[in-house]
Amino acid sequence: MRLTGTTTSARGFGPRDHLCWAYTDPGDMRVRMREFLADGLELGQRVSWIASGPLEDLVDDLRGVPMFDRALDSGAASVSSIDDSYPFGTVVDPPGQVGVYAEATADAVAAGFTGLRVVAEATPLVRTSAQREAFLRYEHLVDRYMTGHPFAAMCAYDRVELGDDVVTALACMHPNSNQGLTPFRVHASDDGTTAFAGDLDGPVRDAFARTLDLADPAVADGELLIDGTDLNFVDHRNLLILADHAARRGATAVLRTRAVGAARLLEVLGLSNVRVEVPA
Amino acid sequence: MTPGAAGHRGYFHEAAFYGSDGEFLALVVPFLEDGLRAGEPTLTAFGAKNTALVRAALGERCGAEFLDGDVHYSRPASAIRRYREAVAGHLAGGATQIRIVGDVPHPGLGLPWEWWARYEAATNHAFEDFPLWGLCPYDTRTAPPRVLADVARTHPVLTTAGGEHAENPDFEEPARFLGARSPVFGDPLQRTPPAIDLIDPTPAEARRAVLDATRGSAVDAAEIDHLVVVTSEAVTNALCHGRPPLRLRLWSGEQRAVVTVSDLGSGPTDPFAGLLPPTDPASGGIGLWMAHQLCSDVTLHREPEGFTIRLVVGVAHAA
Repeated sequence: MRLTGTTTSARGFGPRDHLCWAYTDPGDMRVRMREFLADGLELGQRVSWIASGPLEDLVDDLRGVPMFDRALDSGAASVSSIDDSYPFGTVVDPPGQVGVYAEATADAVAAGFTGLRVVAEATPLVRTSAQREAFLRYEHLVDRYMTGHPFAAMCAYDRVELGDDVVTALACMHPNSNQGLTPFRVHASDDGTTAFAGDLDGPVRDAFARTLDLADPAVADGELLIDGTDLNFVDHRNLLILADHAARRGATAVLRTRAVGAARLLEVLGLSNVRVEVPA
Repeated sequence: MTPGAAGHRGYFHEAAFYGSDGEFLALVVPFLEDGLRAGEPTLTAFGAKNTALVRAALGERCGAEFLDGDVHYSRPASAIRRYREAVAGHLAGGATQIRIVGDVPHPGLGLPWEWWARYEAATNHAFEDFPLWGLCPYDTRTAPPRVLADVARTHPVLTTAGGEHAENPDFEEPARFLGARSPVFGDPLQRTPPAIDLIDPTPAEARRAVLDATRGSAVDAAEIDHLVVVTSEAVTNALCHGRPPLRLRLWSGEQRAVVTVSDLGSGPTDPFAGLLPPTDPASGGIGLWMAHQLCSDVTLHREPEGFTIRLVVGVAHAA
């Protein structure tokens, strides 16, 4: 089972977990980066710290901690500068980017590691709206990849530079985030479906509609299955958004949830292409 | 088509007043018999006592459709929806006129009246396209004077046991009647200090507050869930359409929980809001309509200082 929810530290995440960390203090973000990667080394994963800046500065972020010193020397830990891989203003290719990490994960496993774990300070890749749209699609695709492969990632974003709206849009596509970023989440579920979590109410309606379109949950046999185990509340506005999305995909949405009032709401709304199933 | 509503297009909505069981039967039995004789779908929705009277007078196999009045008249919005569905079904089956008669709830029957007063006005609009003859008999022994006064303002036709159908001079246009209403807060529970009194809560804060304040309540858990849903809707509506500040209050009694959401705006502009399903779900109005489907009472209060919606679950105070 992957972890989902909000957190105050980057400790305790497993080999397939995915965490969004929005920060205001770069020093504190580096503390969290080391927490996340240290757990990876303990789990036998190859680890990597990816950020903007000269390589020697990124190495310095890890040096001085015996565990990281040994790992840097042995090749279990590495650093990579985003400035080298992604020229200024790069718009990522979502499936291509997932492919890069899939290959790196396979390489790590072939080299005897249990998997791969990265911390990426990805602010330079989400500065423009075109960059963000591509990156948000990538976030959900890579989240799906993680459910079935030993790849874990912490995505760090500069809250001061990006602003709360952008950070919220990023955070809601991660199964985990630090506290107070988003009231709802859309992420990949362990069973291969898409999960909705938290509270889907009036104030998040527009954000949810955008997120749902970007995540574009898979349709199987005419059904769009949603794991709503961690969904506390969903209102009619967001059920209508789900119905509209499902209709555009020619599917029936099946929402598995105990969320307050969801089943009764559907009855009242009389929506024909959304069904609520209460999990056993 | 039978006399009475003959020559009338659309909904023929009449009230009648009776003061004895004999007068009740003298009004209702001919209405039903004429309909049955003409082969018209003929529906009743009475409480237990009046159903028994009619069954005894007409016989079990008279051909009338006996709906359970307590179920049918559980909520105005549900009653409108059920009648519309029943009438649409009969029209599809080839009927040219449908007759309906029933006991509309009021405090004399132990139930709140205000939303049924709005129902009586709104049906003139909700059913106007249907070839429907609705007779609303009111018992002057139990219905309070203010109920009878509202009945006189909401029915375009008055009938008597003698079979006369007279145009009602006191009838008011439904939109005018509904727009002018401002009921008093008559629930004694609201004279006690509220368990919640919040200014400008978010919908999420409102939901949490309702759950916290009703923990341990004797009101059914499913109804508390409904209160959470409709409070969230009312707060969202006040934030989107009202004028700040928004005030949320909740009273938790032994048999019911009452929520009021107030703002400084003038409330919904649609006089029928809540009683009829919104024509376009995306355009709003669903929250208010849901409240009317999920609560045991909903009242709308338009006052000089602003608008308040009052939402009740559990056993509503009969006022």
